[in-house]
Amino acid sequence: MLVLVARRLVWAVFALWGITTLVFILLRVLPGDPARTILAASGASETAIAQARAQMGLDEALPIQYGRYLWNLAHGDLGRSLFSNRPVLVTIAEQLPPTFELAAAALVVTIVLGLGLGVLAARYAGSWLDRVTVGIAVLGVSTPLFWSGLLLIWLFSLVLRWLPASGADSWRHLVMPAILLGAVGAAPLVRVVRSNLLTILQTDYITVARGKGLPETLILLRHALRNALLPGLNLIGLQAGFLLGGAVITETVFARPGLGRVVVDAILWKDLPVVQGTVLLIAGIYIIVNLGVDLISIVLDPRQRET
Amino acid sequence: MRIAWQLIVAIFLALNAGLIGGVDSRYAGDVCASALQQGGTLFYGLTLSPSGIDPHVNASSELGIPLRSVYDTLVYRVASSPEETAQQFVPGLAEAWEISQDGLTYTFHLRRDVKFHDGTPFNAAAVRANLERIVDPATRSQKAVFLLGPFHSVEVVDEYTVAIHLSAPYAPLLDGLSQVYLGMASPQALARWGADYQFHQVGTGPFRLEEYVPNDHLTIVRNDEYAWGPPIHAHQGPAHLERVVFRFFTDPAGRAIALQAGDVQVMGEIPPLDAVRLQQDGGFTIVPVPIPGQSLGLILNTQRPPLDDVRVRRALLFATNREEIVQTIFGGFSPAATGPLTAATFGHIDLPAEVVRFDPDEAARLLEEAGYVDSDGDGVRDRDGQPLLLDAVLMTWGSLPEVAQLIQSQWRSIGVQLRTRTLTYPAALEAARTGDYHLIPQNYAGGDPDLLYTYYHSSSTFNWTRAADAVLDDLLVRARQVSDAAARMELYAQAQKRIMELVLLIPIRDPVNLNGVSTRVQGLRFDAHGWFPILHDVRLQ
Repeated sequence: MLVLVARRLVWAVFALWGITTLVFILLRVLPGDPARTILAASGASETAIAQARAQMGLDEALPIQYGRYLWNLAHGDLGRSLFSNRPVLVTIAEQLPPTFELAAAALVVTIVLGLGLGVLAARYAGSWLDRVTVGIAVLGVSTPLFWSGLLLIWLFSLVLRWLPASGADSWRHLVMPAILLGAVGAAPLVRVVRSNLLTILQTDYITVARGKGLPETLILLRHALRNALLPGLNLIGLQAGFLLGGAVITETVFARPGLGRVVVDAILWKDLPVVQGTVLLIAGIYIIVNLGVDLISIVLDPRQRET
Repeated sequence: MRIAWQLIVAIFLALNAGLIGGVDSRYAGDVCASALQQGGTLFYGLTLSPSGIDPHVNASSELGIPLRSVYDTLVYRVASSPEETAQQFVPGLAEAWEISQDGLTYTFHLRRDVKFHDGTPFNAAAVRANLERIVDPATRSQKAVFLLGPFHSVEVVDEYTVAIHLSAPYAPLLDGLSQVYLGMASPQALARWGADYQFHQVGTGPFRLEEYVPNDHLTIVRNDEYAWGPPIHAHQGPAHLERVVFRFFTDPAGRAIALQAGDVQVMGEIPPLDAVRLQQDGGFTIVPVPIPGQSLGLILNTQRPPLDDVRVRRALLFATNREEIVQTIFGGFSPAATGPLTAATFGHIDLPAEVVRFDPDEAARLLEEAGYVDSDGDGVRDRDGQPLLLDAVLMTWGSLPEVAQLIQSQWRSIGVQLRTRTLTYPAALEAARTGDYHLIPQNYAGGDPDLLYTYYHSSSTFNWTRAADAVLDDLLVRARQVSDAAARMELYAQAQKRIMELVLLIPIRDPVNLNGVSTRVQGLRFDAHGWFPILHDVRLQ
């Protein structure tokens, strides 16, 4: 077990290095000069732009920039934003909590809705309840967040006046974004849990349980669900990536603070250190979550312990 | 199943209970009072979350919207009016000023009764500390330093007299000094906070900065000691409002909704179609504020064939139906532009209507004269086997993709094919640098017509027309050196005529900031630079 964890950790470090290198190269291949972008609205001279570029260290050869970046990274320094000149680490520390709050709340919604509706749909397979549930799940996957978000705001903030439309001051500000993001994330989970349960419900040991006269709900929850959970769990790990990506859009629609807006702005304006820092962080979270999922599934499934 | 329903009902009730004590409670108590009140909190929606808000360092307009009320400037600009030769600037922290004969020295006589929010007295040494901070390369000023032009040095003449020395005459200096980016900050606070100053800003204005949480909100509160307001304020003494909270709404689609939901009472940059709807709904007024500076237009690359032929450029100008564009896309809120400067800009002239008329027949005739006919019958004109195909770089702001779509169809009817590429801002700037375009939009704001120098002088890196016209260059150089307002205006009038004679751009529209304002908000006006509200005079009903 320990060897396994260690092996995965080493692999994770390599993955992170690969991602940072890729992002570093991608950002520099994309056209655009941050110094020019910052100074264009001021009508600066070409000399002033060149000076700013030198001040940012962008006039040096790429291998030197890359080497310095890795060296600083190894010392825990993510650099400073080219636009605000603030340390990237400070910006991340400031903007991570609201994003984390949103992603965590959405994850709870995803799990509750995904498992709950998945079990319901399987229990009443073929009935209207099943069809409605699966229909909603398909709708959830295929509706863009920014559109369904606006619909929610229109309904709950303008028509019913139950919830605030924007901001992140209290738990009430979290309700709509978390439900939106969580529900969309739950959609694939519903389908996976449902189809897995249905497959398992056809197996011999379930037939035995039924033969013993156990109630159907008990069979479903105690005997079938545990086995159906494994693929769902892996999916939840993958959904962590979706939640972080979806948080970007959700934050914009609900005018919430958070990392999402920082990343989008940084990419649009080519704020190199901020993009590099946040991508590293998001990739790190993604890798850790999936490592955790792997460990949990080993605990849940004795068969995996041997591999 | 029953449990599930009970749960849903419980959630429903919980949310309702939350509502009663929640969302609208901040307005409770003043909802019924219809009289104008003293005090109260105004919630104001900004459209962009600035990366930094130190006015000496950063450059966005959004930082100026709140901070214009935190800082005073040496002078204030008055709005452009038909009788432009009248006084353009009025006293602010400077009671009076003189400009030396050679235009190299500006001497300011300062008010003696002004204190910063931290109690530090305002004087000539404070002005020097501010200007020296701005020009220090370590400050990395993105805008303020450029407003100072050919700044040479600042001299404390006596405690309340300060002189700014230039290395070349620079008439736009007063305009720069009237902007929030050259607002006067407490030297004590600057020294104390250094790089973190943006979170601890201290000015002399009618409001002081209480708190700035990036991406979330920015709060300013009334300065009760304020007694040195400029003549552009409607009343003297402290501001009416107790507090203004600014929040950031980057998603255009959510702005009108936030206004209707009561999250804010003022919101900038409402999309035109939402503005029409808000006006019909009642409870809100739309305050359109024309922005001085460049009109939003498509700059023509005069170096790249076939646009090196002025007849082709003029044909494109005449083939463009600007009226159709502003009506269809901007709901009539944004007036059609007639030249390189918007009507709200000092020195703007109305060019004769025939110069920028919509005349597709004349456009077709000009193209034929230039040798472009549709020889193969495919609907696109050609010459020497080359189709008349133009490449436009676009950006996502200002409804540019929609505008370009309309222009595409307008030009198709005279046999010109337009291909478009929508790029991010940094990528568009790169295309502009390399000249890889026939047309590219340009729209920078500014209160002084000297911005024509930046965007049309042959030596400027932002002259995307790539034209080098000796007559125009000469006009623009002389205009920035003459301090007499009437003489400058005459030079800029000639420059605008020259630009349209050479057809260096296709003007489309004058940008207008559509502010959605709750009818509870009274007395909201904007200063001469367009973007910045005068919050000092605002009251809540």
